[in-house]
Amino acid sequence: MPHWALSGRQKMTRLSKQTLDGNVETLILAVLESGPSYGYAIVKKLNERADGILQLGEGTIYPVLHRMEEKKLVASRWRLAENGRQRKYYRLVSKGHKALAVNRWQWQMLSAVMEKVLGSAPNFLPKPQVKGATI
Amino acid sequence: MSRALQKYLDQVMLYANRKEEESAKIRAELEDHLRQKTADLEAEGLPREDAVFQAIEDHGTARTVGYSLRKGFALLDVRTEGTARGFIAVGPRAVGIIAFGNVAVGLFAFGNFAFGVLAFGALTIAGLLSVGGISVAPFGAAVGLASIGRAAFGMIACGGLALGLQVPWAIDGVNLLSGDNGIQFLQHFQTHEGTVALIAIILWLLLAVPVLNGVMCSIKRNEYLRIEKADSKLIE
Repeated sequence: MPHWALSGRQKMTRLSKQTLDGNVETLILAVLESGPSYGYAIVKKLNERADGILQLGEGTIYPVLHRMEEKKLVASRWRLAENGRQRKYYRLVSKGHKALAVNRWQWQMLSAVMEKVLGSAPNFLPKPQVKGATI
Repeated sequence: MSRALQKYLDQVMLYANRKEEESAKIRAELEDHLRQKTADLEAEGLPREDAVFQAIEDHGTARTVGYSLRKGFALLDVRTEGTARGFIAVGPRAVGIIAFGNVAVGLFAFGNFAFGVLAFGALTIAGLLSVGGISVAPFGAAVGLASIGRAAFGMIACGGLALGLQVPWAIDGVNLLSGDNGIQFLQHFQTHEGTVALIAIILWLLLAVPVLNGVMCSIKRNEYLRIEKADSKLIE
């Protein structure tokens, strides 16, 4: 869903950059698990799966992809797209598969711990507002 | 392709500052993204102009995207926003072998808050030599208005060997205000060699900060000129 179409409540419940930092690679690996894809399609799939909660500056996905390529988590190839232009496709390689498995397991463990300590999450309620304090 | 998209990509690549060959590939990838996004937004019913505007806005500001596309650790990284990382790094925050920044971390760091092996600035913490307003050097020499180190020199000096107007704590301290000790210490400089050494140390300290500041300003100015030459509107 494009940003302009989001309601105020949806914008309020989007994840902050700090929360996302370090996890974007895992999200991209998860998207690429289902097959090779390219930058725009990856962003689109991420937004669809995250149902508008995730707000990535779309351009900032490319440094992450390039970094993942340097770390050999993904490999890339230029191919001719249906619009007749060259397009860069990324695919998961064995190191990426392993990293995804590890990250997924770690995230599930963390999620289980957080849920046990904090209790189950309310259904994306707006942030509580406290007078004179920033939350 | 729309002029707005071309201009946006020009600006992104200007900030990215990559080699020509790398730059062409990155640009092609971003261009493909923006074209398809625009087409999708148009298909959703947005007029072309609005679609282009929206695609650019969702992509992020040219400066943020461009800087994020820079090499992980370049030989020289100068930026006006964010954290510069490189052998020589200059920016609001700088991390490098030689780092100049408001907050600088490096082997050789210079800035308001400097942390490194050798650090110069207002608040400095260094392994070997720390020179600044408040300077801390747990394993080396600290020189500053207030200094703490194995060897500390300053108005207020604490540490192993401390020399200052106030020496609150030191294994071997010389308080220059306390009469005998200070006067005896100063007598070491009454020889010709001692005087030369003292003048050399003071001159070096007085020169180091302005020279380093000059180097930092010069590097920054070059970066501004490079951007201004390409697009003067980008310089506020």
